[in-house]
Amino acid sequence: MNTLRVILIVLLLARHATAHVGSPNVFFDGKAGPHAVRIVIRPPLALPGLAQVDVRTDGGVSVSVRPVSLVSGVDAAPPAVNAPPVAGDAQLFSASVWLLHRGNYAMHITLDGPGGSGEVRVPVQAAALTKPEMPPSLGLLLGALGVILFAGAVAIAGLAATARRVRVMGIAAVLLATAVGSGAMRWRKMDADFRNNALSKPLPIEARVRTEGERHFLTLEPAGATSSWHTLVTDHGKLIHLFLIEESSGRVFAHLHPVRRERRLFEGVLPPLPPGGYALYGEVTHENGASDTLTGRVTLPAPIGTPTQADWNMKNEAWCQSPPALLGNSAAPGALDADDSWHVGTASPTRSAALMGGGRVVLLTPGEFVANRETSLRFAVLSPIGEAATLQTYMGMAGHCVLRRSDGSVFTHLHPNGSISMAAQQLISPRENSKPAPATLSHEITFPYAFPQPGEYRVWVQVRTPRGVLTGAFDVRVK
Amino acid sequence: MNPPALPDRPAIIGMLLSAAAAAVPVSLLWDFSWEATVGVDRVWGAPHVATYLAVALAALAAIALVLRNPGREIGAWIVLWGALAFVTAFAFDRWWQAGYGLAAGIWHPPQLVKAVAFFAIVCGAWWRPSPRSAGPVLAMIATVTLASNFANLQHGAAFFQIACATYPMVLVAVAVAGGGRFPAARAALVCMALQAALVWLLPLVKGSPEGGPVYHPRTTLLPPPFPLLLVAPALALDCMMRARRHGWMAAGEGGLAFFVVFAAAQWPFASFLLSPAADHWFFTGGGRHWPFFMPLTAEMHTSFWPGTPFDLKNSALALALACASARLGLWLGAWLRPSEK
Repeated sequence: MNTLRVILIVLLLARHATAHVGSPNVFFDGKAGPHAVRIVIRPPLALPGLAQVDVRTDGGVSVSVRPVSLVSGVDAAPPAVNAPPVAGDAQLFSASVWLLHRGNYAMHITLDGPGGSGEVRVPVQAAALTKPEMPPSLGLLLGALGVILFAGAVAIAGLAATARRVRVMGIAAVLLATAVGSGAMRWRKMDADFRNNALSKPLPIEARVRTEGERHFLTLEPAGATSSWHTLVTDHGKLIHLFLIEESSGRVFAHLHPVRRERRLFEGVLPPLPPGGYALYGEVTHENGASDTLTGRVTLPAPIGTPTQADWNMKNEAWCQSPPALLGNSAAPGALDADDSWHVGTASPTRSAALMGGGRVVLLTPGEFVANRETSLRFAVLSPIGEAATLQTYMGMAGHCVLRRSDGSVFTHLHPNGSISMAAQQLISPRENSKPAPATLSHEITFPYAFPQPGEYRVWVQVRTPRGVLTGAFDVRVK
Repeated sequence: MNPPALPDRPAIIGMLLSAAAAAVPVSLLWDFSWEATVGVDRVWGAPHVATYLAVALAALAAIALVLRNPGREIGAWIVLWGALAFVTAFAFDRWWQAGYGLAAGIWHPPQLVKAVAFFAIVCGAWWRPSPRSAGPVLAMIATVTLASNFANLQHGAAFFQIACATYPMVLVAVAVAGGGRFPAARAALVCMALQAALVWLLPLVKGSPEGGPVYHPRTTLLPPPFPLLLVAPALALDCMMRARRHGWMAAGEGGLAFFVVFAAAQWPFASFLLSPAADHWFFTGGGRHWPFFMPLTAEMHTSFWPGTPFDLKNSALALALACASARLGLWLGAWLRPSEK
């Protein structure tokens, strides 16, 4: 009965990964027409499954949600589902919508109320998110039932036999054992296929360091033979956002933007980072709105001198605010990208972290952090004399926040408007909405998030001041 | 005055068991229709509850029969085994769906255990101490092979090979084990009636897709494919097998008869089902009723889909399968014959 679905599932088995590690929920802060909204989308762990969509906005509006597959488009989308207010909270609206197949979706969220109506589209990826592990109690129960069924079937065969009862029971036992064995083999094969092809996981990359003259170059290639980067579009002006985190202590953090030399090669000049082993996380967005996270590791040699960095003179900023675009391949990079930044230093265990060259960034979020509880990571940036710092946009954003669990099982990159790829959102939104809103440049910046699991996290927050890009690092415990 | 005679309790229980067995494929076809219309699979969705009730009713009836006569009611024991297998498959499947979903494939291990459980229930209800209606067994075969039963596939070799491998075993067994006039044809008619009732009734129930992509919007439940014309080969087998024959010769003749009569009836009927003449509530043909999730071009609606050609080699394979299936049917029929047990 479900067999017919196979046709479609096979059609949609395009290569697909996720723009995060271990942090599948989607956060969005922005506007739907005249209404300010904070949206949290929790995709299902397995497909088909229900995605939960929570919308926080003004009371007295009606909210509806419609998942639209990027493959089949709005004409083939199911009807919108009404999101009623949650009992006891007139400003929180919630709906569950079915996602049947793996792939990329645009969640169309429509608000209608006294102030007018508006729509916002949030990109969501649907994929299998968990490796199935059978709880021992269930395994024991199923095992016991299996033994009873096996013995019962053999006994029934004996009861049904008109002659040579023992022989009939023996044949039945052999046939049954063969069937059970083939079933177990089938399970193993399906499980391997699932883990290799269906389970969401970051795409591995191979990173190497090449030295030429007085400079080190970092090169990235996809580890899988099938992966290709020829369909990438720019996300705030860059084809890739690459983060390097020093593995042993996490003291070193770099946010780099190598250029694409070929369809399977990125290359960039390495800043003078301390030698050692580094974890790599890359973020790319494809022209269809799909985002990938790339992961790898690299050992960096001792730096040789300080490479030059392209000037930042506002031209670059205008480029970062342009809509996503397909780019051609680049020539060999001669200098660091104007927006490359790095930070060396211990993280603050308190809620106040020093910035390089003076000044502080303060984590204002009150109370403790609790896993799976929606929160706002709110920071204030202060100048060396303790006044509100003057902030400028950094790649079109008021700030960037990167967080990683101490064991590397969670990694995500947030903007003040959430966890989504801005390029992906612009690609799925109508033209008139496709310009990113100019970042509000108060000295305070807020990132919507919910930590997916308890543990120790390191949080880096990056802002641009007239003195350049500054990074504050915090250690945060999540209960 | 004497109180009125109590009804023969085992007869009523037996009828309940037969009804529960018939409800199993009926609820599964309803579930197919639901999945092809609404698309989302809820544990407590109406067709699922119908399946649970059918299994529970079958189990209760089987317990009543076994308690009365534990040594003789082999069929009831098989039904009970099927009910326990269903419970096992249900627990296994809940875990499977939460982890793998459908991403690991459709015919996954818990689904296979479920299919075995359903066949145990319908076969147990058929076998009992003496054979009852095999209609639900035929309907169960039609349910698990449903994906190959679309009229657009009925000129392909795979369709005939699947039908030839499965139906002759049951039809020959029924014809041989007997019970009244034209037993195989009666079983085929029951099977067709169960399916046809759903073809006519399900489109009266409201339903629309809740997930996407929706390639064929619907407002009512999808009718399953129109039943196969099994009554034609069943009549032929009734006539041929009346003499209670056995051995490979009889199997060869039975297989050949099924193959020839079934192909002769179904081939033109499939063409009819795709024609505008079948676009009617009775046949629900004309290429207008599709699961919402199947992406099909307009030409595919009323054309035969390319597949393995029904050529000499593939026909020979279908015929061989029909003969082997008929041989198993002869063996099963001999075992089922009340006099020999």
